[in-house]
Amino acid sequence: MLHAKWMLVQIYTKLCTNLKEIGVPMKNSIEFNVEPDWDEIEKIRNQSVDFLQSHRFSDDTVHSLSMIISELIENGLKYGDFKLIENKIVVTIKIESRNVTIEVFNPVDGGAQPHLVRLDKMIQWIRGYQDPFEAYIERLKEVSKKPIFDTESGIGLVRIAYEGKALLDFFVSENNMLNVSVVSNIET
Amino acid sequence: MSKHNAPVFKANLVSESRNIPIEAIYSSRYSLKVKFVNGVKTDNGSRFKKMVFKKNGEEIAVGPCQYIVPSGDNGRLGRLIFSKDIYDLDSLFFENKLEKLQSDFFNLALILTHKDKIKKEFKEYTANLTYDLSVYKNLFDSLDAKYTNEPDTVKAVIQRTIIENEGRKFMRFMDNKLRDFESIVISYSRKEHERHGYYLRRQLWDFIVCAPFMARTNLKPRNYSGDSIMMRMIYDNDYMGDSTFAKLMHKHPIEHPAAQAVRNRRRMIGKILNHYKQSAKTGTSKKIKVLSAACGPAFELNDVLKSPRDCAKFHFTLLDQDEKALDEAKVLIAQIEKKFDTKIEVDYLNESVRTMLATPKLNKMWGEFDYIYSMGLFDYLTPPVAKAVIEKLYQILKPGGEMVVGNFHISNSSRFYMEYWLDWVLFYRTEQEFLDLLKGVPSAETRISFEDTGNQMFLHVKNTLTKK
Repeated sequence: MLHAKWMLVQIYTKLCTNLKEIGVPMKNSIEFNVEPDWDEIEKIRNQSVDFLQSHRFSDDTVHSLSMIISELIENGLKYGDFKLIENKIVVTIKIESRNVTIEVFNPVDGGAQPHLVRLDKMIQWIRGYQDPFEAYIERLKEVSKKPIFDTESGIGLVRIAYEGKALLDFFVSENNMLNVSVVSNIET
Repeated sequence: MSKHNAPVFKANLVSESRNIPIEAIYSSRYSLKVKFVNGVKTDNGSRFKKMVFKKNGEEIAVGPCQYIVPSGDNGRLGRLIFSKDIYDLDSLFFENKLEKLQSDFFNLALILTHKDKIKKEFKEYTANLTYDLSVYKNLFDSLDAKYTNEPDTVKAVIQRTIIENEGRKFMRFMDNKLRDFESIVISYSRKEHERHGYYLRRQLWDFIVCAPFMARTNLKPRNYSGDSIMMRMIYDNDYMGDSTFAKLMHKHPIEHPAAQAVRNRRRMIGKILNHYKQSAKTGTSKKIKVLSAACGPAFELNDVLKSPRDCAKFHFTLLDQDEKALDEAKVLIAQIEKKFDTKIEVDYLNESVRTMLATPKLNKMWGEFDYIYSMGLFDYLTPPVAKAVIEKLYQILKPGGEMVVGNFHISNSSRFYMEYWLDWVLFYRTEQEFLDLLKGVPSAETRISFEDTGNQMFLHVKNTLTKK
């Protein structure tokens, strides 16, 4: 079943590439339903690469955006609530005139509250710098102060801002779905 | 664990040939006192490969280190000092982190290479500007030094005179320099803006941090831009700083159009609420329910609550993620209450809008509102979050109720000044992008307006459902 789904995406992205080559407008967004399984990260990353390449983004942009997608799915897997079998991670990629927006949704439970508070502070802190490089350097400094009992580095979000060249944000909706989004500016 | 109760722990000093049990006592940030146990001692100056100890069951090794007995300290405990990686014992004992004094140097290569892609014209511009600013600073500092022994009143008048003459000429110099600067960076990509901004701030850092406003926007003591102290500085629009030069550097960005736009929007909210109060059809006993989302210190309430009757007319709900800002709002409300010897109905909500959205049936918790306003919030929200927030706010707007939210326009004429000098980045929108946030929401009537500088845009929303 999963293989069939993967094949369909392959066909779709190939078709998009062909359509673009002959000047036919193609779909500017794509959605993935991701099983809460660590092996899914690589698969979705590859499918995203195909979709983004079909829109002829530079290799650098495709690499940055697919890195972001992997980081966000990993985040979703870490903090998501997948006790119910129907709970999944949903990833959307939307290409607009000035931006590419990536949204990753996953259900969270009450236990995620401390993570959300940390996420809120972290995102505002990162976005407080004009150059995410500064946040990256500050974070590296923090990480070098190796915590003895805590393994969480928080470097993933900073990588998204710095290496991914993107603006991070999030909210939690009424049905306890955490939506982490990334808006990446399309350079002209 | 407090520094007053210096931690003592069992450890071992390990070298190639020896393993000496000791009691290590926290002594200073970078040294430990050593008490030998089991009668085994070592000589002054002895070097050890490492010190091994256990913390919460975990074995930790730090080193190399050297045992030193300070001269003239006969009979007192010797100290253990690290001789390669200098460990921060405050971090180790009080924050459970293993930090080294030299850790800032780890990223040195990365920071030094960050300047590699800086354009030649920008380097030239920055070098010339640094020179010019240091000339101005020296001149103003030497003037300050000449009249420093005058009585305070005389000093104040002299400084005011200098500010109004030579100071204003310096402000014009800054205006011209900014115009040149904007013509250089206007064509840069976002990545180039980021990199060049970092470079500019590193080069001009000493000039930036001497000005209270610029220092605060850069250092962000509350970890976010636009905190209530920055807002107060903008509203006060005064000269602040320890020297004439610092005062001028503080005042210059506060006179810029974006800061004027912030002052204009505050006045506008006052006017809107006063107008709403006059035209509200609510009965005399029914209060006008107003929500300010991301209220900050709510200074605009000074312009709204001008009489006991005004105080009786409104019921405010003030929402902010920053507890300190809410505390300032409480002080302001208490002052107004004291002034008019009356009580004002105010609810304070200390919550982040990003997590507030998870609350189901918000209208049951907070009630519904006649008027909602939010300034200085949407400038920080990306489209998915901005859309979710505005839709949620709209849900708690009464039928017939109105809402106004602000967002700096994409053409903000202070944009580069803010980004490069103040390290203050906003999420800018076009009119259409702002309107699109409520696209598809039935019954929402929307329109856009601008304040006088044209930098700050407002989305006015009316819930066209009729009141029951």
